[in-house]
Amino acid sequence: MVDLIDVQAVSSERLTNIHLSIEEGTIVNLIGPSGGGKSSLLMLLNRLEDPLEGEILYKGEPITNIELGKLRRMIGLVQQTAALFEGTVEDNLKYGPSLTGAWGSAMGRDLLDQVSLPQTYLQKYVDELSGGEKQRVAFARALANKPRILLLDEVTSALDVRNVECIEQRLYELIESKKVEGMFMVTHDISQAKRMGSHTVFMSEGKIVEQGETKEILTHPETTRLKQFLKE
Amino acid sequence: MAPEISNASMFLLIFFVLIPISLSYIYALGLSRSIAWSSLRGVVQLVLIGYLLTYLFSLPPVIGISIMLMVMVTVATFHASKKGSGFPYVRSIIFVVIAGVELLVLAMWLGFDMIEFAPDQVIPMSGMVIGNSMVAIGLALERMKHEFNEGKDRIIAALSLGASPKQASQLLIRKIVKAAMIPNVDGLKTIGLVQLPGMMTGLILGGVPPVEAIRYQIVISLSIFTSVSLSAMFITVIFYRFYFNDRWQLVKRKETQES
Ligand SMILES: Nc1ncnc2c1ncn2[C@@H]1O[C@H](COP(=O)(O)OP(=O)(O)OP(=O)(O)O)[C@@H](O)[C@H]1O
Ligand SMILES: [Mg+2]
Repeated sequence: MVDLIDVQAVSSERLTNIHLSIEEGTIVNLIGPSGGGKSSLLMLLNRLEDPLEGEILYKGEPITNIELGKLRRMIGLVQQTAALFEGTVEDNLKYGPSLTGAWGSAMGRDLLDQVSLPQTYLQKYVDELSGGEKQRVAFARALANKPRILLLDEVTSALDVRNVECIEQRLYELIESKKVEGMFMVTHDISQAKRMGSHTVFMSEGKIVEQGETKEILTHPETTRLKQFLKE
Repeated sequence: MAPEISNASMFLLIFFVLIPISLSYIYALGLSRSIAWSSLRGVVQLVLIGYLLTYLFSLPPVIGISIMLMVMVTVATFHASKKGSGFPYVRSIIFVVIAGVELLVLAMWLGFDMIEFAPDQVIPMSGMVIGNSMVAIGLALERMKHEFNEGKDRIIAALSLGASPKQASQLLIRKIVKAAMIPNVDGLKTIGLVQLPGMMTGLILGGVPPVEAIRYQIVISLSIFTSVSLSAMFITVIFYRFYFNDRWQLVKRKETQES
């Protein structure tokens, strides 16, 4: 079967020789030290940057063949910083959908529901939100485009246990219902990595140092660098 | 009638300058040299301009006006371009914008018979339009660098949601144009109440009745307002493109980042 996403020998300004693939219906964890290149890799996948060498395929087709706006709506990115637009929560949620079509407040209420924020938040100004609420709005904003693939850059880092659970639950549902075909999930939380991705990629200094089945590499790491990283 | 200022009294103005210089000295502000230098420079510039204008006014209007407008637009371009160092084609673009806006405003004045095509009317009025455009362009460029640094993550968010560079920049363009226009909007609100505008002051000192003087002031104030907003708008919608490539990606421009 052809892979959902296939990263073939990709190098960029900050990454060297990345080989990676993700099967349909799975979640891949990206872990590694700060500055290791996790965010840089995500930016290649929705073409916020392009590789200097190598190629990225979506279901066998180079992503450069897909129209840019369509590609970015299909591959949704949730950034490490919430990066909300000024204005209300609704202004943020409707940004993506209204670029191409219609928006109704009902959609907004549904999105807030998905990230367990009260519906009254629709009219709230974003600078009145807490860090964790901002993070959830940013996640909901990405979901508003109904992406087929999700790139999640530490989307639960500012949340409490209960909300982490809620988001993780939502991610499972998205995969199970096949609304989302696959996810790359950057996390600093090893136990979250164990819960979420079937496959884990360990990156350091712009390279993939080790990758494999999550259970396998997190319990029996082969490289000294990953051993070291897991100890910390 | 306009009072004559004698050479002797002009000379006595030196005492006016001595006051800020001594204050700077007493409070160790370290400004003495620059106060002295800028006063001297200002005086010399004005004297030269005085003679230059006298000469230009004696030429046939078309020639005198063209020469002076050319000089003013060029100087304004060089000055405003400093704020845009790092952008490609800054000077050419700014020159075209300032000249274009000036010509448009001039056409309106002449078309509506507000002023005559005479050097002593066109040159001072144009000077104010060009000078204010220059300041607005400088503000717009500074603000643009600031906004694109501060708002980088938000631009990336917009691009990630499928926005084109143009759509993603909407978020910032409004703020940039607004920032460039604020000084003029504020100025218009209190115009005449706090400070009598320079042009009106000059006309009144020259013996023109106040009710006559305000007519000119209204023309010039609104013209400046128009040219400031047009300049800021053009500059912003032209220059934001340089932050993107044709693959809808933010390009890194070290040189256009805030210093
Ligand atoms: N916009 C940028 N311009 C230049 N260098 C950058 C930029 N963003 C990141 N880098 C550099 O690229 C390298 C990889 O950064 P990246 O953000 O991909 O790491 P990361 O694994 O996501 O780290 P973190 O866990 O801290 O988010 C780092 O050395 C970083 O300094
Ligand atoms: Mg990162």
